[in-house]
Amino acid sequence: MKETENNWSYIIFVRFEEKMSLPLNEIETFLDFTSSELSISKNSISLETRFRDIPSWSSLNALIYISRINEETNVLITSGDLSEIVNLGDIYKLIKERSNGYN
Amino acid sequence: MAITKHSGIKIKGIVNVIPALNEDNLQLPIIEENERQKLVEQTGIRFRRTSKLPVKNLFSRGIKEAMQLTGWTNNDVDILICVTQTTELSIPSLACQLHGDHEFNQQTICYDINAGCSGYVYGLQTISSLLSTINSKKPRALLCCGDVSTHLLSPDDTSTQPIFSDAISVTAIEFDPNDDSITARFNLETIGKGQTAIYMEMNALNKKIMRLNGIDVFAYSVKYVPSNIEALIENAQKPDELPEIYVFHQANKLINDAVIRKLNLNIDCVPNTLNLYGNTASASIPITLCTRLSETNNWVLLSGFGVGFSVASALIKLPDFVPHKTIEI
Repeated sequence: MKETENNWSYIIFVRFEEKMSLPLNEIETFLDFTSSELSISKNSISLETRFRDIPSWSSLNALIYISRINEETNVLITSGDLSEIVNLGDIYKLIKERSNGYN
Repeated sequence: MAITKHSGIKIKGIVNVIPALNEDNLQLPIIEENERQKLVEQTGIRFRRTSKLPVKNLFSRGIKEAMQLTGWTNNDVDILICVTQTTELSIPSLACQLHGDHEFNQQTICYDINAGCSGYVYGLQTISSLLSTINSKKPRALLCCGDVSTHLLSPDDTSTQPIFSDAISVTAIEFDPNDDSITARFNLETIGKGQTAIYMEMNALNKKIMRLNGIDVFAYSVKYVPSNIEALIENAQKPDELPEIYVFHQANKLINDAVIRKLNLNIDCVPNTLNLYGNTASASIPITLCTRLSETNNWVLLSGFGVGFSVASALIKLPDFVPHKTIEI
């Protein structure tokens, strides 16, 4: 009984499993996702595309994009990360490296 | 981890003062017309309030209304604390200015707390700690929270203009020395490496401007707020302290939805005022709490997070009845 009482809070917070609902660590899925989220034709982007050159890239759309990546993969990307990288392949690499949990 | 617990603390009334002047994000000229609907959907904010008056005037009205609502007299107030980051003249403290204007008792403890989005919970924790040390039959405090954040925004800043809004709130709090049951628990945390997520700088005209790095506020909120709340509730270790509702600082929908998702909360337990009032800094929690006060008389979870980077959560037992009012000026 005592153990049950002490563990009640774990029943309340059943966190979402920290795993990908979309396999963004696969290149094609990542490019499909990016095309959809940034409203750009998939034919016009690749891992070499500089994300700041995408016409829809703005402070709001960047935040939406980063929040959607977190929603799908649980990966967190900061402004510091973005300042050190250039193209979509770098974002893909971050997702792949961090997709085993928080970072 | 700074978790504290307090007995005998009771919220006796809340007054929110909201400027009547409404700004509509669907009409915001600095955002492209075809982007405005998306902005409103993603941030959850359509309307924002702006005050031409200094924050002191809003607090002054709130104090006057709070005294009427509670029936307290000027001699009843032992503590007056102002939580704000937008006072026009910071010397003397705004709390001292308001003390003078309202002619409170000489024995009143008065000071300001420089805090933003986590400020309501910081103020509650500070007052809860102080009240129990005062040698009085019924120690009482007024907690004044809020900002006129729009006074610090750059007119062309598409990150801050659609988000921030002006409002204040005054909460009356009383300590009952005869009630030794725990009525408030707090978990206050600071992640100082996030100090540039929201910050102030001087522009070319030597004017103070507030800057917001939305991606970092998102990252810090998602990383640190759920664990802060989980630790607080685990510390309570009592099923009857399970919160009936969760009142979050109203940052924006992207951030709040992510925190709610991480905690796997039922959305019906999470009141929201973003659409109507935007992000009103430290006033957002009491404003949002008041939308559910008439149907809630149990434990509530309050969580503020933002500028600092600061995260502060409280688990509070509400009295059976908390008088409250929201007024526009």
